[in-house]
Amino acid sequence: MRGVTRATKAMKVTEVTEVTGDSGGRRVSSTARTIRALVPPVARALPWLPLAVGGVAGLLLAAVPRMSSGEPDGWLALLLLRVAALVFGLGLAFLMDDPARHTTAAVPVRRAVRAGLRVALVAPVAVVWWTAALLLIPEGVRPPLGDMTLEAAAITALALAGGAAAVRFRDEPEPGRSTAAALLVTGLVAPLLPDGWTLFVQLNADRWDEAHQTWAWLLTGALLVWAMCLPEPLRRRRLAISTPRS
Amino acid sequence: MTDLPTPPTVSAAGLTLHYGSTAALDDVSLRLGAGVTGLLGPNGAGKTTLLRVMATAVPADRGAFTVLGHDPSTTAGRQNVRRALGYLPQTPGFHPDFTAFAFVDYVAILKEMTDRAARHREVRRVLDAVDLGDVRGKRIRRLSGGMRQRVALAAALVGDPGFLVLDEPTVGLDPEQRMRFRELIATAGEGRTVLLSTHQTEDVAMLCHRVIVMAAGRVRFEGTPAELTARAEGRVWSSTERDPGARAGWRTGTGAFRNVGDPPEGATLVEPTLEDGYLLTLDATSAAASGVTS
Repeated sequence: MRGVTRATKAMKVTEVTEVTGDSGGRRVSSTARTIRALVPPVARALPWLPLAVGGVAGLLLAAVPRMSSGEPDGWLALLLLRVAALVFGLGLAFLMDDPARHTTAAVPVRRAVRAGLRVALVAPVAVVWWTAALLLIPEGVRPPLGDMTLEAAAITALALAGGAAAVRFRDEPEPGRSTAAALLVTGLVAPLLPDGWTLFVQLNADRWDEAHQTWAWLLTGALLVWAMCLPEPLRRRRLAISTPRS
Repeated sequence: MTDLPTPPTVSAAGLTLHYGSTAALDDVSLRLGAGVTGLLGPNGAGKTTLLRVMATAVPADRGAFTVLGHDPSTTAGRQNVRRALGYLPQTPGFHPDFTAFAFVDYVAILKEMTDRAARHREVRRVLDAVDLGDVRGKRIRRLSGGMRQRVALAAALVGDPGFLVLDEPTVGLDPEQRMRFRELIATAGEGRTVLLSTHQTEDVAMLCHRVIVMAAGRVRFEGTPAELTARAEGRVWSSTERDPGARAGWRTGTGAFRNVGDPPEGATLVEPTLEDGYLLTLDATSAAASGVTS
């Protein structure tokens, strides 16, 4: 069972050990090689089905004003674009799902690298999707692009942060469903908040700029939570320094 | 703690971990050498927690341990421990659409094996070793439970780690699969350190050169299987009726009762097994906890 490969393995481990004790350049190059090798399996492991369902449903919603007869309605276009972003966000909520989480709990490639790679692989898809969603809204009633992109980015970040937090605090390998449910409830409850608090403000409302400042804070906070929940092991208290009995 | 037959490769001292007010690990110290060490204990004894700590999946609140000379209390040390480690968790998960080969290959990349040709050779080797060479192109969702368990073992073995942590690998397997798994673990234990958590005392009797018994987060026994069995020497007897003074007693296939505990005068003593020693160790633990003297 061991045979020839003991030598192969020794070669690989030696390479790795050298990297850890060697220059930063070699470490970076080793990490880059590992990330490059990880791209195909991580891309394959992504939850493409919920992403596709969320993406298609979102685009259909965004296309409603263009498909409907009569003068496009700015209020409806804004509402549908927001709902489309939320629906796509529900798909993104599954991005942190990793059924093999426990099997790969103790490998040298850090969880944060793997999660970052997942996001990096989905980011271009999300950008293309959002561009398509914006283009589907008739130009005359298209809400401000920057502010709407901020809202969509914050929803995306909330989906990611929710997934990462569920993994961190509940050690859940597939937090997608619970995260999507929480995001959906948040999306449904948010418009019910009192006027001074609501995030989903109308185009001509006085609070538009103020609400988008809050969106910016929400985006920052969600990204921070996501980043803070990525490192593992799950609890990071340092071990007391003592020498094991020999 | 009796002397190890080989120099220790894994040492732990004072490992303590609390979940809320419950001590999952309470001042656990142990030493492991090459070969298979069995970890026995009832549900909730802290076996899985200990294994997760040893696998660096969760840090302890207090205490320290080293694996093959690496100290996981620093980031670099933890990475080095993980490079020397193979871990099979209690409930291994998979990407069900991956083939067995693709999944083990994925784990190999996560173990920093970046040379594609060498990595593929290694993946084929471990899949052959666990007898999955013929189904390596099959999707995991189409494999039986026993085969999936072997995929997880192959994933733990890939890269030929020096320290193998196996959490109840034979649970849910039929007798034939268990036998096959024992064979694999015995082979894996040649020249490397294996820590095997199990509820099956037969697994320990057949596989392990050392055994650790845990209860309520503490190590209650550490020694050889023969030493654990010897704890029941003179404390197992047979009778025609269940002896009410026995700690445990059951009717065997022959119709006679097998009793474990403190035998009455003139009892017909029988040869103890490892399970008897284990039961008496747990019994002494619970008696001590409740203040009862035996």
